[in-house]
Order: sequence, then C-alpha cells, then structure tokens
Amino acid sequence: MSAGPLFDARNLTKRFQGLTSVDRVSFSVSAGEILALIGPNGAGKTTLVNLISGMLAADDGELRFEDRRIDHLPPFRRARLGIGRSFQVMKPFPSLTVLDNVAVGALFGRRGGARSRTAAREQAHELLTFTGLGLHADRRADALGGPDRKRLELAKALALRPKLLLLDEVMAGLNAVEIDEVVAVIKRIRDSGVTLLIVEHVMKAVRILADRVIVLHHGEVIAQGDCATVFEDPRVIEAYLGKRRN
Amino acid sequence: MRRPWVIAFVAVTTVAIALVPVFGSAVLIQYGINALIFATLAQSWNIIGGYTGYASFGNSVFFGLGAYGTAIAMTQFGLPFWAGLPLGALLGVLCALLLGLPVLRLRGHYFAIATLGLSLAVAAILSNLEIAGANIGLILPLTRADGMFFELALALLVACVLCVWWISRSRFGMGLIAIREDEDAAAAMGINTTLYKTAALMLAALFTSIAGGIYAYWITFIDPASAFDPTLNVRMVIMAMFGGPGTVLGPVAGALVLSAVYEVLANWISTAAALLFGLVIVLSVIFMPRGLFALIGGIRRHGPGYLLQNVRQHRL
Repeated sequence: MSAGPLFDARNLTKRFQGLTSVDRVSFSVSAGEILALIGPNGAGKTTLVNLISGMLAADDGELRFEDRRIDHLPPFRRARLGIGRSFQVMKPFPSLTVLDNVAVGALFGRRGGARSRTAAREQAHELLTFTGLGLHADRRADALGGPDRKRLELAKALALRPKLLLLDEVMAGLNAVEIDEVVAVIKRIRDSGVTLLIVEHVMKAVRILADRVIVLHHGEVIAQGDCATVFEDPRVIEAYLGKRRN
Repeated sequence: MRRPWVIAFVAVTTVAIALVPVFGSAVLIQYGINALIFATLAQSWNIIGGYTGYASFGNSVFFGLGAYGTAIAMTQFGLPFWAGLPLGALLGVLCALLLGLPVLRLRGHYFAIATLGLSLAVAAILSNLEIAGANIGLILPLTRADGMFFELALALLVACVLCVWWISRSRFGMGLIAIREDEDAAAAMGINTTLYKTAALMLAALFTSIAGGIYAYWITFIDPASAFDPTLNVRMVIMAMFGGPGTVLGPVAGALVLSAVYEVLANWISTAAALLFGLVIVLSVIFMPRGLFALIGGIRRHGPGYLLQNVRQHRL
C-alpha cells in the first residue's frame, strides 16, 4: 500500500454561473477512517459529493484516489476504482426487485466482482441480510417504504465493494430507532475495512461515528478536526446559529 | 423463457411457421413475410426502447439504410443479394454508431424528438443522391421466390429473438435495464452508460437494417418516401408496446397479433380498417398498458379485475 492518504482533494472549485458552490476546498481522507462532512443547507456538501463521484466536473482543482489523478475520469470509472456513493434523492431501479437492484452493483462494481447474474444475486443476498433487507429481496424496489429505501441505497453502494464510500444524508427522515440501526450498519461497514465520507445533518450520528469532521459553509471549509474541537469553534456555531449578540 | 415448456412451445411454433411456405397458400406466405419482418422490427426496437428505455423514432432510418444499401449494391454495382445485404447492414450499424454518440446524450422526450427528425433528414439526403436514384428510387432485380424470403425473414426473426433472450439473461442486458431504470444510478454503479447505450442502438440497427435489405429485395422497388416512412417506426413502437416492452417474446407476439388484426380488418371493411386499428390500440393502452404478457400474468393472478385495476391505477 502507498503511504499517502486514500483520497485527496486540492483546491476543488465548482461554479454555477455566478455562484461558487464549492470554493477551493482541500482535504484528505485516510484509509479506515470515517470523515463527516457537515454544514448548513446550501453549503455545497452534495455538490462536493457529486464532484468526487464524477457526476459533476470540477472547474478547478485536483482529485487523487490512491495516488492517482481521477479528475478526468467519468463516474463509472471512479466507481470501478472503488468509489461508491449513495444518493440523497434516492435512486433505486424502481421496477427491478430489491435483490436485482443490489446485484447490478455486484456485476459492475470494482474489479473481481460477479461475472454472472447468478453469482451477483448470491452476493446481493448477503448484502441484503447485512443491511436488514433480507425479507424484502423479491419485492419491487418502488414498493419499499422510506427507511427501507435508505437501506437499499446503502446495500447498492456496498455491492460494488467500494474502498471509499460516500454517503449523502442516509439518515435524513429516519426516526431515532432507525437512526440507531443505520449507525450500527455504518460501524460494521467501517469494521469491514471500508473508508467512509458521510454527509450528515444528524449530529448525534456524527458524534458517534466520525473520527474527523469538516465543516463547509458557503462552499468554503471553515473548520476541521475532531468532533469536540469543531463543535466548539465559534465560526461553526455562527454558521449554524448566527452571530452571538454583544 | 426459463420454464422448459415455453422453450418447447416456441421451438414447435417456429418449426410450424417454417413449414408454411411448403403447405400454405401464396396469400398466407405474403402475409407471413410482412408479419415476420414487422416482428423483427418490433423486437429490434425492443432492444433500445424496451430494455434500454430510449424511445427511438430513428429505427426507420436503419431500415431505410439497410434497404438502400442493399439496393445500391445490387443495382449500381451489380453485386449479388448476399453481398448487398451485409453492406446494407454495415451502413445501418455505422449510422447507429455515428448518430448514437451525439443523440444518445439526450434523454426522454428530447431523444425521441431528435430521432424523429433523423428519418426525414436522411430521406432528404438520399433523394438528392444520384447513386440512390434520387427522387425516383431504385428498381431491384425481380426474383419470384417468396418461399426463400419467408424463410429468410423467419431466420432473421429467430436470430433477433435469440439475441434479446441473451440480453435478458446477460450482464450486458442487466446494464441496459439499469440504464433504463435510472441512468445516473447506473453510472454510479460502474456501468459505462455511453458504451452500453451505443451498443444497444447498434444491435437494434443491425437487425433493423437487415430486415430493410430483405424487404427491398422482396418488394423490388424502393424510394425515399417508402424506405424512410416515419409511420413504420410508429408501428414498431406500437407493436412492441402492445406485446410488452422489455420482455423476450412480447414484441413478437404483439407484432404477429396486430398484423393479423390489421389484415382481417382490411379484408372485412377495407375503408374503416385504419380507424378500427386505432381503436384496438387505444383500448389496449387503456386496459393493458404493460402489454400482452403482463395481461396473461395479471388475469391469472387477479382475474378479469386486472383490466379495471389498470384503468384505476393509471387514473383514466
């Protein structure tokens, strides 16, 4: 293995006409850690995820994955290198079964995945058990309820056997019990050797999971460090709550 | 297709159809060639429209290019049919490659509209080419061998069905289906969407243009208006949708049933046939929006209530 970080972003910038959504953002992710990306609505978190997964092309800056430049690779190549993602606005394959939704990832993900549909379905079965969807394997994806759809997003992203997994707000809209379940699943994902970058608004989950936190505000990194330091940072409090009087 | 009796049924039916030129009347053979060609066209459309989810109205371009490629090779260069047919197919597949790369970047309605313009554009180009007989068209050498055309059309259909059957079971097909379901998610799962879409369009073009070549030699006369007829594309879509898009046998069943219905209507009441044909389409869209095959499964599970269920589900 190389000595450098698993993933590294340098001066990443994305402009939408006049608006600079991501402004010279630099950070790196080390193998094995959970990095949380937080920030108020509109801070550019999802844009950043889209830049990393390749859905959007950066206007400026460099992206490295395992010491290799990836900025010019299309999304499917980055997925095959081992960058998996979930979508904040969930994107199941609606008319396929839950099992086949996950099998697609096993068929096309990182090299060494399943070659046949049968083998892919076997791998998919394991992941469904892992994410707690085992009983729903044969249902159509569009028949699933909200929390199960979140689990499906997770299972699909895991199916391509990522080294780096980007999770975009997988806990939004879940109740306390469901959040605990997803937190447990994410811990198990980390323990299986996957590095995670999570975008999250549920601070309870961030406190439990994150080794490190990056705070984004108006497209810029305003703070980074461990949870305790970041949550005490006056700039972070200001970004979320506004300026303290006097 | 997994259950053995379906495979047995298809095999027996194919053999029975193959025997039609031996025992059938001239009229039946003529009807058969036409219906088999349409079944191939509907099944080809199924690859790009049904499995990949790109509603192509440009397939009539491939049909026309296959017809013209074959006709030009035979009339202008004096080549035999067996050399002309692959040339026509090559023309169709190349066209799919060159047009697919830019046009497949468009999604949904925009793709449909862009491809709709293509057949008109290509027809306009060919009607200005001397080598293609310009506006007058080309007359191919006359061959009175309907039996051969019938078996040829059947062989092409069998090849096309086998290809779709392979798609329905393969990794490649899973990629196409994922693109149909959600293209962004498919890319995030590691699918080379551009490559897969283009390959699907080229496969559709291959079978469509060969069908065009057979058609041209059978009819012995083509001109831009008949070779690039946009309503031909509409019929492919209707037949595939009627039978069941994204299924292996649906489009074939749809094409054979609708061809028969049209033929019967045209015989009984020739003037109102098109009108009644339209009525059949409207009713089938209302009562069986997912096609013949879903209808059979649905009625087995829910009884005749399935029909009303469709009406309710789609708020008609």
